[in-house]
Amino acid sequence: MAKRGSAGVGRRGFLKGAALAAGAAAASPPLAHAVPALPDPNTKRPILIQLAAAEAQAPPAEALTEGKGGGDFMVDVLKSLGFDYVCANPASSFRGIHEAIINYGNNAAPEFITCTHEENAVAMAQGYYKMAGKPLAVLVHAVVGLQHASMALYNAWCDRVPVFVMVGNGLDAEKRRPGVEWNHTAVDNAVIVRDYTKWDDQPASLQHFADSAVRAYKIALTPPMGPVVIAIDAGLQEDPIDPAAKLMVPKLPRTTPPQGDSAALADTAKMLVVAESPVILVDRLARSQAGIDNLVTLAELLQAPVVDQAGRMNFPTRHPLNHSIRGRALVTQADMILGLELRDFWGSIHSFRDQIERTSKPIFKPGVKTVSIGAGDLFQHGNVQDVQHFADIDLAITGDGEETLPYLIEAVKGQIDGGRRAAFDARGKKLSDQHDKSLQESRDEAASAWDVSPISTGRLCAELWEAIRKEDWSFAGGGNQTFFSNWPQRLWDMTKFYHYNGDSGGAGQGYGSGAIVGAALANKAHGRLTVGIVGDGDLMYSPGALWTAAHHKIPMLMIVHGNRAYHQELMHVQRMADRHSRGIDRAHIGTTLIDPAIDFAKLAQAMGVHAEGPISDPKALGPALKRAIATVKGGEPVLIDVVTQPR
Amino acid sequence: MMMLKARRMAAALALILIALPASAQPAPPPAGDAARGKQIFNSDGCYQCHGYAGQGSRSSGPRLARIELDFDAFKTELRQPSNEMPPYTESVVSDRAAADIYAFLRSLPAPPTASCIPMLSH
Repeated sequence: MAKRGSAGVGRRGFLKGAALAAGAAAASPPLAHAVPALPDPNTKRPILIQLAAAEAQAPPAEALTEGKGGGDFMVDVLKSLGFDYVCANPASSFRGIHEAIINYGNNAAPEFITCTHEENAVAMAQGYYKMAGKPLAVLVHAVVGLQHASMALYNAWCDRVPVFVMVGNGLDAEKRRPGVEWNHTAVDNAVIVRDYTKWDDQPASLQHFADSAVRAYKIALTPPMGPVVIAIDAGLQEDPIDPAAKLMVPKLPRTTPPQGDSAALADTAKMLVVAESPVILVDRLARSQAGIDNLVTLAELLQAPVVDQAGRMNFPTRHPLNHSIRGRALVTQADMILGLELRDFWGSIHSFRDQIERTSKPIFKPGVKTVSIGAGDLFQHGNVQDVQHFADIDLAITGDGEETLPYLIEAVKGQIDGGRRAAFDARGKKLSDQHDKSLQESRDEAASAWDVSPISTGRLCAELWEAIRKEDWSFAGGGNQTFFSNWPQRLWDMTKFYHYNGDSGGAGQGYGSGAIVGAALANKAHGRLTVGIVGDGDLMYSPGALWTAAHHKIPMLMIVHGNRAYHQELMHVQRMADRHSRGIDRAHIGTTLIDPAIDFAKLAQAMGVHAEGPISDPKALGPALKRAIATVKGGEPVLIDVVTQPR
Repeated sequence: MMMLKARRMAAALALILIALPASAQPAPPPAGDAARGKQIFNSDGCYQCHGYAGQGSRSSGPRLARIELDFDAFKTELRQPSNEMPPYTESVVSDRAAADIYAFLRSLPAPPTASCIPMLSH
């Protein structure tokens, strides 16, 4: 793309032109008077005189190069915040900072990661943060780039993940080239994503940028976390830094997440200790190993079952107190329910029936005590309805779950006496036996369609587990776990925080590929083997992440869950057909990915990714996975396209 | 209102059926064509939630392979489901088609047990 201003008149060009015009004006009458009514050969003469006069003044040559531009200082700010990467699809509205990153910043910390779509860039940031525990930066084009990014930003918002987005802009209309630069400029870029971002600003100076960037970073990482947007003016990026400016990068303070009120925690501890059948429901709690370890400590103190709803990796899957598969049953029996960072407390304790008359009913016992701990109430927007049904909870403790857990643990310790400890031990023994029984049930269910083609999701996940279990592995997720029946949580031995990376949050399609590659980017520094499972429908939104993985040599194994349909929607359309008694032979219209079936292996190969498939013979899957793992361990990305059962 | 009445009547009927004495044995299932039942099962309807092999899924629908429900109970659940399952009226799945599906589900081979698959013990 042509350099900004090359076809028009830049600020300095404008000044030079003005000087010339002023000289010319001194030597000639005003233009209005210089244009005669009729052609006259003499009219050329004054112009020649003008030029001669201008040349005689010998103006200085136009300055076409400069030293440090504003983008350099912006890079200083980014470096101060510790960004290792900036993901972006290149665009003229941020060419100033782009050039500064790769040259002034030497393309290191942050390194520029080339993305083929802004949705991928943000999805990578979402997957990266959850795995790395720190954000990466994203650059998007003014207006159109942010529009591309908006879906992924909504996922990140719903998932309470910090994403640091900078959007280019061209505030000074005098500097805009005619045409497309006007289309790619907005008075208020961030308005289109403000309903699902946490904060935004449009700095008017470099110092303002520094302050806002550090402020945005701090806001994004303070629970409840969320995406932020900073609009960066092209002029600020490109114009030389005023030598007189005293620019400084503000200090990023060490921040502490909000924790729950101690009196409320003491009350909760009493309820937990006296309860005969407590249950701990957990969703987006742990963002580090400490979060997992503390939840284990709490559960073991109480010998209480934990139901991990898998918004994050919260609790070891093989722990005797992990009863995630029995969540509904445990709620029906519970006399005390503790919800930790639940996205949907109401949905966890009610049933809901999707028939003509939509009905719901509580599944909990009368008199049950309910307590929630979470930071969600600290920040919400009113438009998008990701708040879920209002749950009539007895005690809602506002505070970050992971930060609050140690204090709850101490409060519980102070409440347990010998009698309760004996009761807890007896409860724990029963729960341990039930855990073993549930694991066996899951294994039997996985076996039930073992040799069937298309390949069952149970066999797919069992084969994948067999292929990775001896490695230092990381499951980057890639989509809704219920789409493949939560098999990894049911069959795999997950213990570390990086063993699972949660889901999209907003269920917006196009998350999987970017999130897997982003998580793999975070894992690359640790040498972990990254695997993920992405739906075929989801991958068709954003396959370009595969090219990014190939280009930047980001090792990961992406499995395609190829049920060849937008299967959730297929079921919905069938439900409508059933409701109207209109047959069982047309719901595939508009919901399936057949005729032709998509060859994802060829798609990946076209982007430089090793790939195999489509694989529909279950016996061929294990050997293919072994080959794939060997290639990934060699530092390459791999895709395996598996033709699967629906769920 | 009509719909509500129909549902209440169906619920009452279900209660009556449950209350029948144990000696009232269910009628034997009608002879069905398992091959045709497989074809119907794997068209747009049943497989979507229950899988091509009737293996079921915790997230969409229960296992149906080698179904243990008697045919009448199966048909009741098909016509007037008690939970999330959408209803399949006779005009969509005839009694004969239901019998064929039932025959297909009953004909499915016993799956391997997890203990026969070494990797499932890991």
